[in-house]
Amino acid sequence: MPHLISRTPRIAESGRPSGLPADKNISSSVTRVIVKTPGKQEDFMIADDTLVRQFKEELSAHFKCQVDQLVLVFMGRLLQDHDTLSQRGIMDGHTIHLVIKSKHGSRSLAQSFPNLPTNEPCHQDRNTTGNSSGVFQPARVSPTPLESALFVEPDALKVHMQDLEVGSPECIAQMLENPTIQQLLSNTDLMRQFFSEHPDMQQLMQQNPEVSHIFDNSEILWQTVELARNLAMIQEIMQIQQPAQNLENPLNSESHLGLETIPGGDNVQTLPMGQSYADFNDQMVNSSQDPFGGNLLSALLEGQVPEQIQSSSPSPSPPQEWQDQLPQLPTTQVIYTSSCGLSPITSASATSNKVNHTSRTKTDTMAQSHTCSIQQSAGVPALPSIELTQQPQAEDKDATNSLDSSGQRLEDDFQLSDEQTSSQITGTMMQLLLNNPYLAAQMMMFMSMPQVPKIFSASKWTLSRPLELGTTTPTCRYLLPQRWTPALLSTSSRDPRDSNHHTYLFTCYLPADPFDHLICLFHLF
Amino acid sequence: MEPPNLYPVKLYVYDLSKGLARRLSPIMLGKQLEGIWHTSIVVHKDEFFFGSGGISSCPPGGTLLGPPDSVVDVGSTEVTEEIFLEYLSSLGESLFRGEAYNLFEHNCNTFSNEVAQFLTGRKIPSYITDLPSEVLSTTSGACSQDHLALHGHEQGGFEESKVPSV
Repeated sequence: MPHLISRTPRIAESGRPSGLPADKNISSSVTRVIVKTPGKQEDFMIADDTLVRQFKEELSAHFKCQVDQLVLVFMGRLLQDHDTLSQRGIMDGHTIHLVIKSKHGSRSLAQSFPNLPTNEPCHQDRNTTGNSSGVFQPARVSPTPLESALFVEPDALKVHMQDLEVGSPECIAQMLENPTIQQLLSNTDLMRQFFSEHPDMQQLMQQNPEVSHIFDNSEILWQTVELARNLAMIQEIMQIQQPAQNLENPLNSESHLGLETIPGGDNVQTLPMGQSYADFNDQMVNSSQDPFGGNLLSALLEGQVPEQIQSSSPSPSPPQEWQDQLPQLPTTQVIYTSSCGLSPITSASATSNKVNHTSRTKTDTMAQSHTCSIQQSAGVPALPSIELTQQPQAEDKDATNSLDSSGQRLEDDFQLSDEQTSSQITGTMMQLLLNNPYLAAQMMMFMSMPQVPKIFSASKWTLSRPLELGTTTPTCRYLLPQRWTPALLSTSSRDPRDSNHHTYLFTCYLPADPFDHLICLFHLF
Repeated sequence: MEPPNLYPVKLYVYDLSKGLARRLSPIMLGKQLEGIWHTSIVVHKDEFFFGSGGISSCPPGGTLLGPPDSVVDVGSTEVTEEIFLEYLSSLGESLFRGEAYNLFEHNCNTFSNEVAQFLTGRKIPSYITDLPSEVLSTTSGACSQDHLALHGHEQGGFEESKVPSV
C-alpha cells in the first residue's frame, strides 16, 4: 500500500507511553509493541521490519488460534499481511489492537451481540441495592419495564433517604447531583410511586386525595422540590432572623413572600433565597400576561403574613409601617399587610441581606404594580448565589419606591456578601434536608427536572396557627382557594416550645385563578 | 490495490444533568463542573454505549437522552462492522460486562475511550475522562462516592430501554 508507506504515524495512544518521539524510526531493530486484546494486553518484542504476516503467526501461536482469526488494528487501520510494522508506523511502545475472530465467522457475530442485552437482567439482579428488577433490558422498548425497574428504585432511594438523615450534608448534595438519581426522578411514574410510598405522603393523601394529582404533573413535582429546596433555605434564614428582622421590613414581606413563592410560569428560574425574590419582583412587574398562580401564592403568602404579624409581636414598628402603607396602595393594601407580616419571618437572618435586598426591591415593585402580584418565577433551580446579588441590585436601581423611607432603610441592610449568603444558604438547606428526608426527596426531584413548569405554584408560609393538613381548603379561618393544598413543612422554630410558627407548604397543582389571591386576602382579613 | 473503506467514528456526548451540573456544581461540590458527561461511540450507523446492563447499541441518538449535546469527531477507521462487533462481543465478555460497571472507575466513558482507541487510536477528550477524578477530588464527591456508586448501576442502565439495533 504505497500511500501508507510514507505516512508518519499520528500521535499514537498506547497503553504505556513510549517516550520516543513519533518521528523517530528505529529501523531493523527490535521494538516493543503492546498487543491489546479485549481484556488484556501483552508486550511483544519484534523486529521492526517484521511482516504483519509473521507477526500474526507469532500471535496465533501465543493466543492459540488460527492466523486467519487474527485481526490487527493500529490507529484505526487494519494491518494487512504484506505490510511491515515499520511501514505502518508502528514504533516502540505503540499499541496494536488485536481482535480474534470467532471460528464461526460472521454468524457468530450476529448471535453474540444480541446476547448482550439478554445478559442484562442477570446483571441487574446483581444490583448491589438488592433490587431484583430486570427492567433494564434494552430489548424492551415499552416504558413499563423501565417503570417497573425504576419502581424498585424508590426502595433504594428510600433506603438512601433514611441513610441521608444521618449522612453528611455533602452526601446529600452529592446524591442530588447524581445524574442517576436525576434521571430516575425525571420519571413521573417513578416519583409518583416513590412519594406515595412515603408514609408522610400517604397520610397526606388519605386526608386529601387531590394531593395525588401532584404526581400527575412532573412539573408540579419539580416545582415542589424546587420550592422545598428554596424554602429550606428561606426557612432557616427566617428562623435565624426573626427577632432581628421584625424591625426591618414592613416592605420586605412582599419579597419574602416572593421567595417562598414559586409559582409556575415561565422561564424564570427559581432562585435560592434572594434571587427568587428578585425574580419575583420581575415577575410581579411583568406578570400581567401570565395567568399562572403566582398571584395566588403571593396572595396566600401575604394573606398568611398578617397572621404571622399578629402572632409575632417582637416589633411593633413593622406593623406600623405597613399600616402606614396601607392607605397608599389601596389595591395592594392587603398585600402589604400580609407581606409585612411575613417579612419578619423571612428576612430574619443576617446573612439574608440578599433576601432583604430583594424584598426591598419587591416593595418597590409593589409600589408600582398593583393587584397583579402574580409571580411567575419558576425554572431551573439553584443558581449560584452570586447571581442572586446581581438581580436585586439591578432591580433596586430601577424600582421606584413610593415608600422611600422604608425602602432606604432596607437598603442599608443589604450589605451582605455573596459568599456569606450562599454558604449559609447551602448549609441551612442541607440541614433542613437532613432533618426532613421528604424535602430531600422533593429536592432530588427538582434536580432532575430542569424544565420549567408552567402550571404550578407553591408557596410556603409560616403561620401562627396550625392548619388542617391534607385539606384542599383549610377550614380554620383560612379560606384558601380549593386548589391549594397545605402540607406541613415543619413546625420549626428555634424555640421548640414556641408552637406558633407552623410552616406550611402550599402547593397548587392546577392553573391558578388570578383572582384567587384577592379572594384569599379578603378572607384572611 | 483499492483503498480500504474508511468509516467515520463519532463520539456522542450527553450531559446527564441537562445543565444542572453547570449551575449547581459550584454550590454542591465547590468546583465548577460543566456537565455530567455520558458518551457513546457512533460508528457504522449505530450508537454503542456501556451501562450496567453491559454493552448496548441503538440507532444514533436513540437513547432516552435523545440527541446528544455535542458530537466529537474521533476520526475514521478501517475496522469493518463485522470485526467491530466481534471486538465488542469479546469486550462484553471480558472487560465490559454489565456487573463491571462502576460509576467512577469503569463507566460509559471508559468504554467510549477504549473503543475510540481501538477504532482510531485516539482517546476521547480529557474533560470527559477526567470527570470522575474531578468529582472525587471534592469533599462532597469523595464523601458520597459510595452512594453514587450504588446507584451507578441504575444510571448505566437507564438508557437501555431502547431496542438495540443489532
